[in-house]
Amino acid sequence: MSDRVLLIEDDRELGAQIVATLHKAGFGVTWWTEGRVPDPTTIDLLIVDLMLPGMYGLDILKALRATSDTPALVLSARNDTSDKIRALKLGADDYMTKPFWPEELVERVRARLRRPTLARNDVIEVGPLRIGLAERQVWVGERAVELTRAEFELLATLARRPGAAVTRAALVDAAIDADRDGAERTLDVHVSRLRKKLGDAGMIQTVWGVGYRLAGSAPT
Amino acid sequence: MNLRLRLLLTTAAVAVPMVAGLVWLDARSRHRAAEEALARLTRERFERPEAQARCEADPVAWGVPRMPGAMGDRPPGPTPPPGGPPTPGGPPAHGPGGPPPGMPRAAPPRFFAYDRALTSRDPAAPRLAAGTAAALAEGDWAAVDRATFDERVEVLLRSPWPDGPCAYVLVRGTTPRGFIGAILPASELWLAPLAATLIAVLVAVGPVVGRIRRLTADVRRSAAGGFVEAPAVAGADEVRQLGDAFVAASAEVRRQLAARDDRERALREFLANTTHDVMIPLTVLTQHLASLRADVRTREPAELDEVVARAMDEAHYLAALIHNLSVAARVDVAEPRLERAPIDLNALVARVVARHRPVAAERGIELDSGVPEAAVIVDADLTLLEQAVSNVVYNAIRYNRRGGHVAVVLDRDDGRFVLRVLDDGPGIPPPDLGSLIRRGFRSDAARTRTTGGHGGHGIGLHITHTVARLHAYQLTFTNREPSGLEVELAGPLPPPAAATA
Repeated sequence: MSDRVLLIEDDRELGAQIVATLHKAGFGVTWWTEGRVPDPTTIDLLIVDLMLPGMYGLDILKALRATSDTPALVLSARNDTSDKIRALKLGADDYMTKPFWPEELVERVRARLRRPTLARNDVIEVGPLRIGLAERQVWVGERAVELTRAEFELLATLARRPGAAVTRAALVDAAIDADRDGAERTLDVHVSRLRKKLGDAGMIQTVWGVGYRLAGSAPT
Repeated sequence: MNLRLRLLLTTAAVAVPMVAGLVWLDARSRHRAAEEALARLTRERFERPEAQARCEADPVAWGVPRMPGAMGDRPPGPTPPPGGPPTPGGPPAHGPGGPPPGMPRAAPPRFFAYDRALTSRDPAAPRLAAGTAAALAEGDWAAVDRATFDERVEVLLRSPWPDGPCAYVLVRGTTPRGFIGAILPASELWLAPLAATLIAVLVAVGPVVGRIRRLTADVRRSAAGGFVEAPAVAGADEVRQLGDAFVAASAEVRRQLAARDDRERALREFLANTTHDVMIPLTVLTQHLASLRADVRTREPAELDEVVARAMDEAHYLAALIHNLSVAARVDVAEPRLERAPIDLNALVARVVARHRPVAAERGIELDSGVPEAAVIVDADLTLLEQAVSNVVYNAIRYNRRGGHVAVVLDRDDGRFVLRVLDDGPGIPPPDLGSLIRRGFRSDAARTRTTGGHGGHGIGLHITHTVARLHAYQLTFTNREPSGLEVELAGPLPPPAAATA
């Protein structure tokens, strides 16, 4: 079942464009042009404009937050700090300042609907990779892989946020004993060995300027 | 109520009760003195030879003493003339100073004898209440009639002869005729200084009132003339101080008006420039759309794609420009105000990257970001900081080539956040890099739309500089090897307790 998005936007042209964009991206969209409080059980995400006839966006947000944690994305034409801070304080998960690109909107909606990785889970699975955090064991498919302490920490740090680039500084921090192993350069050596051991060249990606990323998406 | 009337009423409100009080006190004193004189006179009668026998024989006759000389010469009850009978050598019967000569005499006193049961054989004797004698318990006489403003004075005494019809004697006399004279001078001359004081006060206040009126007129004239001409007040008193205070106040008003005029002028200028700045990309966008429409049937899709890409670029530039202009309106003022709040930098980076990713993709530039796992919270102005970061990222994309890279890297480093924007574009020639670091960009120079190269970093970099300065963050520009630019924005993280608040 596709995610149900409720859009509250009074501008017909913009509303129609957003609905079309989200439909194309595979979301089920309901569109209201007047402000009123939605039933949180019927939607997975709320996109709400701040200036609305009927009821202000912030009031809708407040009413929604009284009963539900449904993610909410605020659209704002006014690039005003206090509006945004108030929206975030009232429980908005994110905001978008107009104008925005269709791709930008889809990306932000996806980010809000992404289920968080189960924290404190003892086992992380990304693609064919399975990482047992408690027993410090890694499998690729059925094959167990022997990793050094540093390699394991590197992989675990990347796997905690699959698909996200992790900075070199964060990886060094997590995996490398700076006193013994020295500079950040060691990081590349460890990554290179890790890639070899995992066998799949595409899994650990180099991200220009940032660091590394473990390909794949979080289990849904 | 004007000043003069107020002063008059205030003076009257103080003087009238005071005079009334003195008159009352004077009357009390006159009464008291008359009572004491009557009591003394009666005791003297008790001590005369055969007083007891004469009284008991005929109390009525005894009660109407036969005075030496004419009836009118009898010393007026409490006020016998000095040295005259019946008080030879006695202290003056009257209050301090005694009555001045020629003062009207009082009627002669009359004595009424009562027996122990307070009944009298004298038919003219007033009836005494049963408890009246109790008043004598303390001393040997007591005043009976205590009306302060009545001329009549009555004093009851116990005689030395407790048995018989003359056990008690009531003596009735009068106070001296006249209005005052006990403690106030009998002549009303003393009212003269009082009246003089009142008049002096009113006269003295006259020039002050006049000065205040002149000042009022001056102030009105000054206000009518837009506070350009300050009122001139001579002298060295409070009125002068009031005038000075007004001069200072009007100077402040003029200063504020001038500041407001400046702001209005700046705003008008800003609006005019803004319109110019916005109209150019809008015109370019319009041209792109027009050529797209004209060519959509005749050109190859690949050719149209190029026009669309440039139109998108222009729209993106337009959006960034308008955001920057609204930020400039906030920070390019005499005293910019930050709306600080705890801000999640991870989310900020995600928003900035999401905003520029479509244009980066259109230009064939890879845009990535990396942030720490835990949210980095700073205390900053959300709009300003986001725009500052956005400008750096946008510049990194704009000046890069197809196939280039831009990375936004956020790290925590020893109580500080370090946000770096890296690119592998052309970088900035060292001489310009130096000037960029030293002085940022003045807004006038920075507002110029880019025409290529690095010269037109535009208003964006100016905003970034200003925002960094306002937040006291460090902004550094470094060229990368072999090519590219690294812009680093670093600042303190609030203590953990504050960050979670």
